[in-house]
Amino acid sequence: MSAAERNLVLGSAGEPVLRSPALRTVGAALALVNRVVVVLAAIALVAAGVVLTHEAVVRYAFHHPADWQDEMAVFLLVGATFMSAAWVQARRGHVAIDAVAELLPPAVERWRRFVADLASFGFCAFFSWKSWTLWHEAWVDGMVTQSSWAPPLWIPYSFMAFGMSLLSVQILLQLLDFLLRDGELG
Amino acid sequence: SRLGWAAEARTLKISHQFPGGTLEEGDFRDRITRRFAAEVEKRTGGALKFEIYPSSSLMKTLAQFSALRKGALDLSLYPLPYAGGEVPEANLGLMPCLVTSYEQGRKWRNAEIGQELARILDGKGVKLLTWIWQAGGTASRSGAVMTPDDVKGMKIRGGSREMDMMLKAAGAAVSTIPSNELYAGMQTGAVDAAITSSTSLISFKLEELAKHLTVPRQHSYWFMMEPLMMSKSVFDALTPDQQKVVEQVGLEMEDFGYKAAQEDDARVAEIYGKAGVATADMTADAVKRWTEIARETAWKDFADRVKDGARLLKLAEQV
Amino acid sequence: MGALELGLMYGAATFGMLFAGIPIAFALGLVATLFMVVFMPAAALDTVAQNVYEEMASITLLTIPLFILKGAAIGKSRAGADLYSALHAWLHRVPGGLGVANVFACGLFAAMAGSSPATCSAIGSAGIPEMRRRGYSGGFAAGIIAAGGTLGILLPPSITMILYAVAAEQSLGRLFLAGIGPGILMVVLFATYAVLRFRKEKRLALEQGRLDSPLLSEERFTTREKLSSLPRVLPFVILLTGVMVALYGGFATPSETAGLGGVLALALVALVYGAHRLDQFGPMLTATLRESTMLMMIIGMSLLYSYVMSYLHISQSAAEAIVALKLSRWVLLAAILLMVVVLGFFLPPVSIILMTAPIILPPLRAAGFDLIWFGVVMMVVMEMGLIHPPVGLNIFVIKNIAPDIPLKDVIWGVMPFVGLIMLCVLLLCLAPGIATALPGWVYGG
Ligand code: NA
Ligand code: NA
Repeated sequence: MSAAERNLVLGSAGEPVLRSPALRTVGAALALVNRVVVVLAAIALVAAGVVLTHEAVVRYAFHHPADWQDEMAVFLLVGATFMSAAWVQARRGHVAIDAVAELLPPAVERWRRFVADLASFGFCAFFSWKSWTLWHEAWVDGMVTQSSWAPPLWIPYSFMAFGMSLLSVQILLQLLDFLLRDGELG
Repeated sequence: SRLGWAAEARTLKISHQFPGGTLEEGDFRDRITRRFAAEVEKRTGGALKFEIYPSSSLMKTLAQFSALRKGALDLSLYPLPYAGGEVPEANLGLMPCLVTSYEQGRKWRNAEIGQELARILDGKGVKLLTWIWQAGGTASRSGAVMTPDDVKGMKIRGGSREMDMMLKAAGAAVSTIPSNELYAGMQTGAVDAAITSSTSLISFKLEELAKHLTVPRQHSYWFMMEPLMMSKSVFDALTPDQQKVVEQVGLEMEDFGYKAAQEDDARVAEIYGKAGVATADMTADAVKRWTEIARETAWKDFADRVKDGARLLKLAEQV
Repeated sequence: MGALELGLMYGAATFGMLFAGIPIAFALGLVATLFMVVFMPAAALDTVAQNVYEEMASITLLTIPLFILKGAAIGKSRAGADLYSALHAWLHRVPGGLGVANVFACGLFAAMAGSSPATCSAIGSAGIPEMRRRGYSGGFAAGIIAAGGTLGILLPPSITMILYAVAAEQSLGRLFLAGIGPGILMVVLFATYAVLRFRKEKRLALEQGRLDSPLLSEERFTTREKLSSLPRVLPFVILLTGVMVALYGGFATPSETAGLGGVLALALVALVYGAHRLDQFGPMLTATLRESTMLMMIIGMSLLYSYVMSYLHISQSAAEAIVALKLSRWVLLAAILLMVVVLGFFLPPVSIILMTAPIILPPLRAAGFDLIWFGVVMMVVMEMGLIHPPVGLNIFVIKNIAPDIPLKDVIWGVMPFVGLIMLCVLLLCLAPGIATALPGWVYGG
């Protein structure tokens, strides 16, 4: 059982807290960005439901071809997922196994979390970089999807690239918060 | 020496989306890759070895093409039109009514259109080794699908952007249901009819549900190119002798491929017929009527949208 | 280096990263990336983003957020409490009727929501205090809700079933239907146990002379009261049957049904509970985003993980090694299920499926098991993982709803239900038709 799962089930995770005063402005700015993004992601989520409902209705009731709705729903949901990843990370909502963590003494536990965050940051930053490269390829080559609607692929790729970048920045902020706060205490 | 061979030996990965089998049994598209692998391994004295990944077990179907281009995947037996999003000219690989018989499809490799296509793909980092065009038929749970009049108001899965355009113009409601939901979709009536290759019609077991099958034995409005392709960067890294073997074996696989594809056309008619499905061969006249619609929709769209598209279509028509 | 050594290293690295507490999604991605750097051509690194995108851009997988939305809409409204109080009004004459009502309410709710903890908290927050007020022991009340909640992954819609259907390349519609028979069987088993246990607790109260125990008091509901409880429940019964009819009547594909269910649930909550201000929908939507983003990130990154496993021939070699052991079918099945149970100690059902599917499915297919049937058995086994000690997601939900019930009582309360779930697995092996008959009848074959 992990803290993230517990928070998820119990809905008990509060707003993210930054302890280091030096980061307060940056933290507030990022929180604002996350808030805006999450409102948009929530709208995208409902919109995807509406689009799929529309698909079923027009095809079944009016015998209209259904060809763009699946893809539109995919874009909306992929967008909602990647874009809200940073907001979830701010609330420590990405599930981890905390079995060992709970046995460690507090001082060691704080460093364990720092190292785990550092590893997460490394991966997310790498993934962001590769996502931007992919976005660039799709943009330059004019790649489109396979449907008869054929929208450009740079659109969902940019959600992925932007969302993963935002996530990396969020983790970086949490890392810096740990270091700066420790500096003050030490 | 034996050790020397081992040091030089290179293992290449072949990926495809079709069900896996053996050299002798199973989906013929999987068997092409196995025969190719065995023959190349033999002729290079084991310097080239292969690992085959059926059923998209290495990567997602659509990711294969881009991986080939980047050299992250060595070979793939890949439906060419799936690459249409990245290389628009690849949509020729399933342009309705552009290829309407096996004889016509087989001439592509040496015709001007074939050379053009090979050149374009070469520029994108992909080399064609075995050229196979496969015919597709239509299984329907409501009326038989022969002419454009038959699909009016029907919920049909065309399977590609170009097919969908033609079907829509004929008055059909196209569905984009994924292939693994096809059986369930047809059972419940979410789709009335589906067009796909004879081999897939057999493996999807739609004979349990369909009432009519349009068999693509002589003619078809649906011919898809499913070549065995190799990453150009991987090909270029082979020795000249190995390159020759790979190209030669690739060419030799076509006899087997075309024979197997046509056997499956006969087999699908037999299997569906035995299950009590009414089967009828697609006629030349019906294909002609579909062609009129295809010209105005899918072909026109291709000519407008793709640079040089009109010229490519003209070259294809000369075959 | 052989595939075996690579496989062991890969497994060790994964366990190391997971137990270091790196979030599952990033840990899987990181292990995969590191092995790509060391053991694969450089070009593979250029494909990571596209591979993940192709995995996620599947309309079948993307129904997950919509199923979560449907569950959250109902779970964050008063629907759970209403559902169960209506059932109680109708079942009060049955001895142990309140317990039975809670089991039924869990089953009905599970058939609307995609996940188990959601079911558990929606019904339990009203059900546990009510049962305890009527004299049910804490452990008994907790057991009913913890076990009833597990039905969430077995009764359609189910997120874990979606993932399994994609991994095993089976029809989602068929798999969903296959879960209904065993789901009903478990509801019956749980309800029967509830009646027996109630009678035992009542007898004990009599023997000990606790004549003031609420267990012994009779309760009356007038016909009028019974009827008045219906209007608030009816909409959800309509939602449930409407979505089923849309799917199995051929009106909509599974993905369309997911969209339809999410939109309808929001609309019903707005109508029935008068939620029409934006701030009332906020908690439903943010809860949905939290759960679905977390899940979808794990799903996306697990593709990289299994891609590397496949490229390095680890999954194939492991599968071949299992086949080469020439275990008899049932030993093979038992070994695989045991592994699922052990993984269930640490990992949520989603991650278990994603990480084990490439290895366990080929040998099972080779041994001739029906993969729809196996999918259902695996769901039932993972249900156990949700409630068996030491860690079980549902137990924590209970601890939150009723913090004063000692953990020991909760655990003793769920143990009989663990036994019943095992019995269900056994029955499924003896009579596979419990799962396969319904899809066979609807879809043929
Ligand atoms: Na795969
Ligand atoms: Na469910």
